[in-house]
Amino acid sequence: MTHPGEITRRQLLRRIGITAFAAGPGAALLSACATSGAGSEPSAAPSTSVAASSDPANPFGVDPKKPLEVVIFGGGYGDAYAKDVHEPLYTKAFPGVTIKHTATQQIGTQLRPRFVSGDVPDVVNNSGPEAMDLAALAAEGHLADLSALFDAPSADDPSRKVRDTVTPAVLDNAKINGKDLVLNYTVSHRALWYNAKLFESKGWSLPKTWAEFTALGETAKKEGILLFAYPGQKGPYYQLWNVLYTAAKIGGNQVLIDIDNLVDGAWNADAMKKSVTAWVEIQAKYGDKAYFGLDHTQTQVKQLQNKLLFYPVGSWIENEMAKDKPLDFEYAIAPIPDVTSSDAMPYGAVQVGVGENFVVAAKGRNPQGGLEYLRLMLSKEGAKGFTQKTQNLTVVNGAAEGLDLPPGLMSAARAQDAAGQNIITDARFEGWYKELFDHGTEQINVVMAGRVTPEEFCARMQKKADEIKKDSSVAKQTRSQ
Amino acid sequence: MERLRRYGFVIGFLAVPVTLYAVFVISPYVQAFQLSLTDWNGYRSKLTYVGLDNFAKLVHDEVFWRALRNHGVLLLVLPVATIVIALFLSYLLNLGGGTRGDGMRGVWGSRFYRVVFFFPQVLAVAVVGVLFKAVYRPDESGVVNGLLARFGAEPVGWLTEPGLALWSVIAVMVWQAVGFYVVLFSAGMAAIPKDYFEAAALDGAGRARLFFSITLPLLRDTVQVGWVYLGIAAFDGFALIQVLAGDKGEPDGATTVLPIQIWKTAFTYNKYGYASAMGVALFFLTVTFAVLTLRTTRRERIEL
Amino acid sequence: MTARRDRLPARGRARAGVLGGLSHLALAVWTALVVLPLLWTFLASFKNNTEIFGDALQLPGELRLDSWGRAWSKAHIGQYMLNTVIVVSLSTAGTMLFGSMAAYVLARYRFVGNRVVYYFFVAGMAFPVFLALGPLFFVVNQLGLLNTHLGLVLVYIAYSLPFTIFFLAAFFRTLPDAVAEAAMIDGASHTRTFFQIMVPMARPGLVSITVFNVLGQWNQYLLPLVLLARDQDKWVLTQGIANISTLAGYEADWPGLFAALSMTILPVLVVYVIFQRQIQSGLGSGALK
Repeated sequence: MTHPGEITRRQLLRRIGITAFAAGPGAALLSACATSGAGSEPSAAPSTSVAASSDPANPFGVDPKKPLEVVIFGGGYGDAYAKDVHEPLYTKAFPGVTIKHTATQQIGTQLRPRFVSGDVPDVVNNSGPEAMDLAALAAEGHLADLSALFDAPSADDPSRKVRDTVTPAVLDNAKINGKDLVLNYTVSHRALWYNAKLFESKGWSLPKTWAEFTALGETAKKEGILLFAYPGQKGPYYQLWNVLYTAAKIGGNQVLIDIDNLVDGAWNADAMKKSVTAWVEIQAKYGDKAYFGLDHTQTQVKQLQNKLLFYPVGSWIENEMAKDKPLDFEYAIAPIPDVTSSDAMPYGAVQVGVGENFVVAAKGRNPQGGLEYLRLMLSKEGAKGFTQKTQNLTVVNGAAEGLDLPPGLMSAARAQDAAGQNIITDARFEGWYKELFDHGTEQINVVMAGRVTPEEFCARMQKKADEIKKDSSVAKQTRSQ
Repeated sequence: MERLRRYGFVIGFLAVPVTLYAVFVISPYVQAFQLSLTDWNGYRSKLTYVGLDNFAKLVHDEVFWRALRNHGVLLLVLPVATIVIALFLSYLLNLGGGTRGDGMRGVWGSRFYRVVFFFPQVLAVAVVGVLFKAVYRPDESGVVNGLLARFGAEPVGWLTEPGLALWSVIAVMVWQAVGFYVVLFSAGMAAIPKDYFEAAALDGAGRARLFFSITLPLLRDTVQVGWVYLGIAAFDGFALIQVLAGDKGEPDGATTVLPIQIWKTAFTYNKYGYASAMGVALFFLTVTFAVLTLRTTRRERIEL
Repeated sequence: MTARRDRLPARGRARAGVLGGLSHLALAVWTALVVLPLLWTFLASFKNNTEIFGDALQLPGELRLDSWGRAWSKAHIGQYMLNTVIVVSLSTAGTMLFGSMAAYVLARYRFVGNRVVYYFFVAGMAFPVFLALGPLFFVVNQLGLLNTHLGLVLVYIAYSLPFTIFFLAAFFRTLPDAVAEAAMIDGASHTRTFFQIMVPMARPGLVSITVFNVLGQWNQYLLPLVLLARDQDKWVLTQGIANISTLAGYEADWPGLFAALSMTILPVLVVYVIFQRQIQSGLGSGALK
């Protein structure tokens, strides 16, 4: 199997070292500021800016004795990165300070009442199925403005602002109602993931067109392997993402931008219909309905057993399954094959996005400490520690330098490199309009199971989007790119 | 003096329970009723009243009606299935052995059966949910489908076929409940004087006759108590459905019930006001059920 | 009695044998339905992921005990079990004490407002608990009882009162008046009459509603989820199970999940088997009154 670009491991490591994947050629697009100079604001910001107060080691004027409370989503990344890396950094900066650390999967159930009652933790990793509605929190003034953080001197180099040390997409995705309120901490690559070693041993190559894709499906079928599967329980949103990204590949990122902006008829776009139709056919011909009843880990275990070839997911999968991965399994990313001969994005386009939300409570006991905690997370040491603990990349440039990254992440790096400017954007209605997203995760199972037609799916989604648009109780967000 | 002592006693005995109940149960519910008239989103510090808007919206909410329909099914099937199975099993336990030994001792090993049948009842719903997720798994790794595969049958999507899912969930509820009612009914049957059966058996009455003409009529009260318990259980089902079928009442809302909808509307979509309105609707439904049932049972002696 | 059997015609005896066999068959089927899933869970704790997602009917390849160790240390089953036992025993005791006191007064004393108070309690059976979750949080918070076992115990008691009172009031009403009247004439106070005469008489009813409350509170999931959210070392078992079940999803530790499940199931079954005689007779006689 040949790798696009054919760069050596050494070169690649160096490149990652410099860019942490995200400041390379693709990064400019990733930033959603289509200009090539996305990361090129005056980078050596004068250390006299407002945020950088008298003491660059403590720019927010943290009271070193005030305790700090941190709540981490105990999901795929675990909470060791916070407990063993980020929190020690904070206690090192302020010796003797106490940190209350909590890990939970029920972020919303546990924290929502606390926000209303005013007893709020300082730092919240808002993630998982019960993540809180950040727009609603923002409307009540619960979220601290992070622009002070982005303008503060970096923990590694006081002559640089934090905003210049992170991949530019962070800044774009930080906004709610035009204000910088959310820090996205991780970078992930989403497309189809497969077992490179299986392909090698069978002598198969990655399908570049839909015809090659289905042909491989026939071949695999003879070997008793499914071409494709997604988890119908807990993880149907993987497939929702997949059809959305495929639609973006067919019709360009504007398809997703329109959907996010609740543009009339956005879900009925031709590209969306084509994408859904193509995947429904794959499911009907090469899928297995049993997977409608399996959740993500169960499906992932099946893939480790080589029972399915392609799985729509992000680069975190490698770490998630590290414990169970047999030696003859090597994760690698495969771009979505060309659906039509005139796709807006050529073969090789992959989705690269930032994720994993962190917010600081504005009305907590120690908002300065919260900002400082995030600043330390964004230090090289903090970010490197995260990558070491989770085998996932952060938004901090160059933080993965010198780390021995696993093969799946390397393949993602190569894929991003090969994709160049053709980076598929993220769909933000997931965070903005949870009801629409939930409806989507329900309806995607319905259409994939063949209980409604792709047209009907699009119509249902459009109907829900129209309802949200009309619902005055839902705060609306917009994006331009 | 005695009057005073009586009142002092009454007040003394009621003070703690009434206080606890008023503080922890009534006051939150009063607030919930109040919230049903607002558009509170769970975060705002001020309440905006919207009158009966939430209830008007409810009338046109497809999902709300689907949840109601599922409640109807549950309310009908859960008690009937549980009671029928429990009656059948306890009849076998108590009378299946015939008139052998010192009377109606039941089949050999009936103690053992009764103990085993009660097992599911002592398991936490969370445990049962996780367990049956494995039992119902949609491929041969599921216990049921693994068995089917032995007979060469295709695996069945117990929890993923919209036509099947609710029934699969009900089956688990029945599975868990039956033991409790076997014990309940067994005790009832044991209390029926043995002479009745012996006399009837001597007259040549078959087992079915014995059951329908003696056991069932004499057990009527106990069965009705069971009906009330199960009816109340049918209005909940939240924890089990959430674990088994997911928090959207998958697939396609085929297993959704009002508690699921309330949970989702309040905690996922932050529409507390609307969710509270659903809760209020559920409250009136349960009250209606309880009043109707109690009116027709012997508990009407309590003057309901 | 043995003589009676001999009087049955031979044909009848043969039929009884066949039917007896069929009875056993039906009972055995239900026994299998109950036992097999539990047995499967137990066996699954010795499997690895591959076996768990392979053929369901296969036995584990070897006796792997590591998942039990993991579940014990990581899922803190022991700690949660202890917490649950503490909370449930206190709250059940409280429920029974206050519930029987209120039920007794409501069932056997005439006073102004009796009906109102009775319905006030009974209406609580119709409230969906999660509807109150949000407001309840604030109530408990204001009392400073959030994240305390005491708070949870009081809330459990309050939410168990409606059914307990409903059930016990009906029960107390059926008790004969003569004994209580005799005691009063002998000069016993109302309180003494209740504790020394009425409670012992109501024992069967009390036992069966105790069983009901223990089971209900043992199973409670929503209330602790909200009221004990913050301090993981105070969690009860259901929270622990939900937590490890979610974790199993993220960490793909399915054997650990089944080991944790087995760990929670086994002690409960043992306790049940030890007390089953009392539970069953209590349940039976209680329900019959």
